[in-house]
Amino acid sequence: MRDERADPASPATDAALEMRFAAGDVAAFEALFRAWHGEVFRWVARIVRDRAAAEDVTAEAFWRAYRGRARFDPSRSFGAWMRRIATNAALDDLRRARADGGRVADVAGLPAPDAGEASSRDDREAVLTAVGRLSPALRVVVTLALVEEQPYAEIADALGISVAAVKVRVFRAVRALRRDLERLGVRP
Amino acid sequence: MIDDDRLGTLLRSAMPPMNTGEPSRDLWPLVTNRPRPVIAWSRIDAGIAAAIVLAIVAMPNAWLLVAYHF
Repeated sequence: MRDERADPASPATDAALEMRFAAGDVAAFEALFRAWHGEVFRWVARIVRDRAAAEDVTAEAFWRAYRGRARFDPSRSFGAWMRRIATNAALDDLRRARADGGRVADVAGLPAPDAGEASSRDDREAVLTAVGRLSPALRVVVTLALVEEQPYAEIADALGISVAAVKVRVFRAVRALRRDLERLGVRP
Repeated sequence: MIDDDRLGTLLRSAMPPMNTGEPSRDLWPLVTNRPRPVIAWSRIDAGIAAAIVLAIVAMPNAWLLVAYHF
């Protein structure tokens, strides 16, 4: 997660805020929330692919961060710590959505693809079905690595796993998607 | 077999990258008004508590042993 805050504080101010946050200072927590929530929201939206859900997951992630503030190490990046919490909250949301019948179909409401790389409507539906059948752990790497084209190292950091483990998950997800798409009649 | 390029094209066509910008509302109230988790006793918790009470009633001299585990 790059630091794209509109009004970045100096590193010294950041460190002071983070120390106060770790000590339970709500004003410091709000300042960190204001600085980072847009970044966290965009990261979560890439995973859950639904604006309303992303807003709720972002709020949940910051609430979890506040509850877990004692575990925050101010010598490390608040952004990276926050991104990991947000990724876990997003994964929980994907699991809930899957148990409730899935939310991937909502993506069908997004703008139509560019004409140059458009696939048929049937193909789009087959892809959404196949992605919806992946476990949340595999779906998150497919979305971040293959759709959003995030670096493997960043995905690994957010998931708290190694880059090699991310590659294994991508491999397994691609194999499952290929198998499912061919069963669903998508042409090679 | 569907190759990597075709699979990538299919995925990006069906699921365009999200360009969400900023949240549509202030999320701070959602953070501060988060419902607190309700701490409910499970059957296992109730069973352990009942077993402790029974142990103290049945073996009053063993209460120090029970207290040691807290």
